[in-house]
Amino acid sequence: MTRVLALCLLLAALPAQAQFNLNRLLDSAKNIGKATQEIGEKEEIEIGRDMAARLLGAAPLMANDGVQRYVNHVGRWLASQTERPDLPWRFGVLEAPQLNAFATPGGHIFITRGLLERMRNESELAGVLAHEIAHVLKKHHLQAIQKGARMELAGAALSTLARQDRNTPSREKLLAAGTELFSRGLDKSDELEADRLGVVIAARGGYDAYGLPSVLQTLQAMNPEDSGVALMFKTHPAPGERLGALERMQPTLDAYAGQPQLADRFTGAARR
Amino acid sequence: MRLALLLLLAPALCLAEPATVIRATEMKQQPATDAAAAGQLAENAKVDALERRGGWTRVKAGGGAEGWVRMLALRYAGAGEAKQGDSGVAQLLNVARSGTSGTQVTTGVRGLDADQLANARPNAAELRKMEGYAASRDGAESFAAKGNLSAQRVDYPREAAQ
Repeated sequence: MTRVLALCLLLAALPAQAQFNLNRLLDSAKNIGKATQEIGEKEEIEIGRDMAARLLGAAPLMANDGVQRYVNHVGRWLASQTERPDLPWRFGVLEAPQLNAFATPGGHIFITRGLLERMRNESELAGVLAHEIAHVLKKHHLQAIQKGARMELAGAALSTLARQDRNTPSREKLLAAGTELFSRGLDKSDELEADRLGVVIAARGGYDAYGLPSVLQTLQAMNPEDSGVALMFKTHPAPGERLGALERMQPTLDAYAGQPQLADRFTGAARR
Repeated sequence: MRLALLLLLAPALCLAEPATVIRATEMKQQPATDAAAAGQLAENAKVDALERRGGWTRVKAGGGAEGWVRMLALRYAGAGEAKQGDSGVAQLLNVARSGTSGTQVTTGVRGLDADQLANARPNAAELRKMEGYAASRDGAESFAAKGNLSAQRVDYPREAAQ
């Protein structure tokens, strides 16, 4: 459907005297088609690894083996409770003072040292990791990248025609679009969906389901002008709004509120 | 070690943190829906939040009465009202930037601002390191068992499951 629409757009833009460009035009249309196809799991993982490497270029891993392994155990356990248990799930704590968390397609998930330090127990960590896992399950980033690529390619195809040179979509462009998402953020509806699913995934893992809401409350209590939360607040709905949206999850939250929080294990692992 | 220290220093949010209730709310004597009433709070009433248990937070109202309210019905001072203070991240980064070369990379304090993300170059070595920390499915399962975590069957909310 999108492909047909793009082709129509191109044809409409085609000057009568430029019909010899038809082959080139069809090539461009093919490229647009390629970008609109479902990206396979292998490519999803590759794009995600590339994005993860970029993120690690901005901030390396926190130099603490114990903390890194601990976070991988919590995250891997949660991921096992989902419909995509066999992705190559990897978790990392970034050496950054800001408070934030990130996911990349295919299962690379990050949390900053700044956010980890504000948490009080393992159920809070689980809530945040489960939110990020939900982004991967729902392919939120992948869809945003594809949406961006489609629009750019439609434009590129038209300008290609004008400049008469080839400008094919590259992996580099997809990666640039993906990296841009780190500072631009996803749609609000994607974030709120990840909150709802995150609560469920944490509960499935046997944790106090209120872990995520209580992190949101920590964030909500912070000054939004604080430099430590500026980027996170820019790329997410306000914590107060997210808390309000989670009220519809109250039955699930309450049914699993009595599960372990594991405060001692959390502080013990962080102390190693 | 440093993380442990910071964890100890991190403010415990629910120790007498000023908050407001987002709607008219009945305080409960116990953290449960069917508990007896402990007083009534008007919309936007100011309280001090004392502790959280499950989905309930114990609060102290202006008149001194205490009771439990839904934690999701509480908002803290940060988002709405102007709140002073900073976590110190800006100062850290400023220190880093004021190094002899005037660039932030010299001291090793970096971070995740939009600029740094936009200009980041891939770090393949760190990615390999990260992948080396991966937990196996079995390893994660015994980790969960040690924490007395037991897997539950919980459905996604219907509208989100599509």
